[in-house]
Amino acid sequence: MECLLKFKNVVKSYGSDSIALDNVSLEINEGEFVSVIGPSGSGKTTFLRSINKLIPVTKGEIYFNGENISDKKGKALRMCRRKIGMVFQNYNLVYRLSVIQNVLHGRLGYMSGLKGILGRYSEEDKKMAVDILGELGLQEYIYNRAADLSGGQKQRVGIARAIMQNPRLLLCDEPIASLDPSSAKVIMDRLYQMTKRRNIACIVNLHQVDVAKKYSTRIIGLSKGNIVFDGKPEELTDSMIEKIYGTSLDNLMLGGNEGA
Amino acid sequence: MHSRIEITNRREKKMYLIFGAAIILLWAVSTFITDFSVTELLVNSGGFWQFLAEDFLPPKLPKGNELINIAQSVATTIAMAVSATTVAGIFAFLVSLFGSEYISPFPAFAKAVRGLATFMRNIPALVWAFILFSSLGIGTGVGFSALLITSFAFMVRAFVETMDEVSKDCVESLLIVGATFPQRVINGILPSCINGFLSWFLYCFEVNIRASTIVGMVGGGGIGLVLFSYLKSFKYHTAFGIILIIAAIVIIVDLFTNKLRKEMYK
Repeated sequence: MECLLKFKNVVKSYGSDSIALDNVSLEINEGEFVSVIGPSGSGKTTFLRSINKLIPVTKGEIYFNGENISDKKGKALRMCRRKIGMVFQNYNLVYRLSVIQNVLHGRLGYMSGLKGILGRYSEEDKKMAVDILGELGLQEYIYNRAADLSGGQKQRVGIARAIMQNPRLLLCDEPIASLDPSSAKVIMDRLYQMTKRRNIACIVNLHQVDVAKKYSTRIIGLSKGNIVFDGKPEELTDSMIEKIYGTSLDNLMLGGNEGA
Repeated sequence: MHSRIEITNRREKKMYLIFGAAIILLWAVSTFITDFSVTELLVNSGGFWQFLAEDFLPPKLPKGNELINIAQSVATTIAMAVSATTVAGIFAFLVSLFGSEYISPFPAFAKAVRGLATFMRNIPALVWAFILFSSLGIGTGVGFSALLITSFAFMVRAFVETMDEVSKDCVESLLIVGATFPQRVINGILPSCINGFLSWFLYCFEVNIRASTIVGMVGGGGIGLVLFSYLKSFKYHTAFGIILIIAAIVIIVDLFTNKLRKEMYK
């Protein structure tokens, strides 16, 4: 399998005494479904957001598709970013626009400046948007305003927008943290199926250890900016979980055990 | 014996007491400095009421040529407010994009942009009119420019706040798909913030209708200048008529913009 993403001695510090990523090195290959777990403040969000340079790192290099994204700027950065999709906890849609307009935003990185400004998407792009929305069960909501959807539906629009980018890598920052259990399952199922079908590598930040175990091909445990676990879901033992969260299992709400 | 149970926070009570005492003290000091006395005002107010009753009342509505002249200057005043607000709004939108750290492609300069807008806004339109009047002379150009400067500065501030509130998330989502800055503005910021922008724009228009009268009085042209000339030539009855016309226009404009705003948020 080909290496898609490579962290080389990455350090991110906020101010002088707060370190979010402490000399992190790792590789992620094509087609992997990686979950990142760890307590709040362990650096999960910083890790994810440093990949598409929403957060610039302090030291070290991040290679995406063989290119060093950490020193890219302007157009070169945009060319890298369009190959990396992202799904947010708060969906981050433009709520006044229609569902399909939001999904088509995924193509902006591939369009000339003026066409993107005028919203002149090609017929193939529109067809693709309709197909993806159908795949996600949103075909009836194409012309609804994004604001009028439920949380689970909004997140599906978020996924559709990311898939529209034709990404090689999909980053999901707590995608199910604001959703009810049944919407959360729909979202995780779709994420898993859609990325697998298209051979998109996926990195998901999660708070739910059981969800991570159920879907992932690989789990990364972060604690205080360090990778303390990196392995297959079945290798994630109880004592390992205690180490990641720095407390005994009795103090942890891990949810149901159906995934374990 | 039961001791009384206090139901208010002691510290809060104390704060209000100190606050009240400070206001009374400030009032006493400023009265002393300005030599202003309520009793004197009441005693001498006879002249004021007499002036109002005899010289101003009843209002005289102008006729013939006078009326045409006044109608024209009312139109000038409204036009001044409309054009100044519109031009200011367009420029304010463009500049405000650089005044928000989240959105600007040069976030390091965002503070400077906001600072400049705050500085320009804190000089009242009247003062700007005086400054411009000295360099441009009397005319609607002065009024237009004075309104333009203040409403531009005001809207820059208001638009930046609107954008900071609404669009951080959606700007981020357009950033990560690789959209260019103009693409992000048109596809993300504009649809998210357009209601907020229009609402501030309408507010600014209301303010400018009022301000254009005052600015007009010091040489900005329009109905303000006409009113001033009537006051100076002691034609108080007609002046009062003009004041009533101005009040009516302001009320109508307020009703109209309020209605528009309500429609917008439906």
